[in-house]
Amino acid sequence: MMKAEPRTILRFLLEYFEIINELYEIQSKDSVITFEALNEIITKHKTDIKQQLIDYKILNSVNDNFEIRTVYYNLIEFILSEFKPMLPETIEKYHVSIAELFRKIKDNINGDKIILNQRLTDLAGEIRAFYEMVEKNTISLLNETRELKANVKKIDYREKIVRASRWIDEYIIPLNKILDINHSASIANKLYDISEFSNKHRLVCDDENTRVLFEKLYFQMIQVNDNLLRQSKILTTELLPLIERIRTESIILTGWITFLKNPYKQKVPKIFEGKRTNIYSKNTFFNASELFEQFKNDTAVYFEEEINTDEKWIFDKEFFTEKLKSNLPVTDFFKWCNKTLKEEYKKVEIEKFFALTTLAFDEDIQRDFGKKPEFDKIKINDLTLTVPKITITKYGIS
Amino acid sequence: MEFPNHHRQIVEDLMSGKFILPQERTYPVLKDNEQSYTYFFKASFNYDLKITQDFVYLVSDESNETLSRDICIFIAILSYEIDREGKNFMELIQFSEFEIDEIENYFTNSSYIDLILSNKQLKDTDSRKNFINTLNRRNIIEKTSDNRFMFTSAHKFFMDFAVDIVKFENAEQN
Repeated sequence: MMKAEPRTILRFLLEYFEIINELYEIQSKDSVITFEALNEIITKHKTDIKQQLIDYKILNSVNDNFEIRTVYYNLIEFILSEFKPMLPETIEKYHVSIAELFRKIKDNINGDKIILNQRLTDLAGEIRAFYEMVEKNTISLLNETRELKANVKKIDYREKIVRASRWIDEYIIPLNKILDINHSASIANKLYDISEFSNKHRLVCDDENTRVLFEKLYFQMIQVNDNLLRQSKILTTELLPLIERIRTESIILTGWITFLKNPYKQKVPKIFEGKRTNIYSKNTFFNASELFEQFKNDTAVYFEEEINTDEKWIFDKEFFTEKLKSNLPVTDFFKWCNKTLKEEYKKVEIEKFFALTTLAFDEDIQRDFGKKPEFDKIKINDLTLTVPKITITKYGIS
Repeated sequence: MEFPNHHRQIVEDLMSGKFILPQERTYPVLKDNEQSYTYFFKASFNYDLKITQDFVYLVSDESNETLSRDICIFIAILSYEIDREGKNFMELIQFSEFEIDEIENYFTNSSYIDLILSNKQLKDTDSRKNFINTLNRRNIIEKTSDNRFMFTSAHKFFMDFAVDIVKFENAEQN
């Protein structure tokens, strides 16, 4: 029986919180509060509250030592947000209780309503307890990891590697398995089944009280599933990369410190000896002989200068304009060009032909292209030109 | 006989001891022709070609051991000093730009000063400047200006070595 009013106990907790907090810290560290430790704290604070601590059932005696009762321990832990990470095995126990309650609810859905309702209430309680434990664990793992990262306690690099590896292998990965909805044996998967089941029965159940309980359970499940997803995300996107980084970082630094202890006695990684052809290299002789071999050509090569016997032809525009004028009217200009060149030089050359055709562009010439365009073919050496039929009727005002 | 694109540059870079990095145009050529290039370097020079996701490099029996050791000492001291300042050395080496003055500061105030003074390539400011230029030529760092540089992904080659030291030690202890 409690030897005090609830308010008295709460006031006592408030008044002596400093002492209770110190006791909590001792128990967190050593799992137990020794008789000597309790006396030491009481003497330090000059307040003997040992009897009240026992009367109010805050402390429990274990042989000659003491421990804070679980309910108070959990309260202080919750108030201080100072959770210790729990091994996922501890959380796994909820898998059994939740699965068992759910199985019984499913099997006896049409059975005794009072028992069914009690089971639904218990299931909701177990799920709440499970979720709170997961949340506490994520918070504590994050705190521990951040502390390890900041390395306030100046932990040695090797110890850091050990701790980081332990968090990953023993806590984070197994916890993530519990929360992995894609894993058929995970609790998260079971919770998903419960959510579906409660959603169906909150609508079809004939008993009103049971319907209300299913409704409550369904909405609790929506919230729990959302929260678990968030916890799982924290684990995979924040915690795991952070702790992996601490581990890699610590390994590399440990390696470097070991190396720096005696850098000249360690084998170092092989890096390539750069290869360059220097003038003093062993290959110089061969490279030089290869180069000179190119000039060892015994056959004399002569270049004959090309002598151009033809005099350079210059187009005499005036002469040909006069010739054109005297032949006016010319019915087919291009044929006239061909014929004129043949008369003058006996042989038509393409260069001369094109030079002569420029007369057609003379501004003073009056050209007639006929009503319908007509084309002729003119052969100059190997080249056949397709040209339009142009009639030159007049030159200037003549 | 046809060679892949940039063949000449690939051979020249690797033969001068450079690390070829993923952002270089020669990297995908090497990656796509991994088998033929491995065979080419083995058959022509008896060198081993190593292609990783962070860099490509050549390995021969004639290793430049002094340079390799000095690079390890340089990165080891830098990592240690950055960590001692409470900063994250891996993040800084991987993503940050360093100023030569900053490096000078780490080296002149290092507790490994005896080791630094006894090392030809790291003993004083001028030697360290030359050394940084060597690292630049090898593509281990990239100079962003006259007095600033960043480490390239080739630094992981040396970080892997530090990990190997611990692994080797642990294996020996077991």
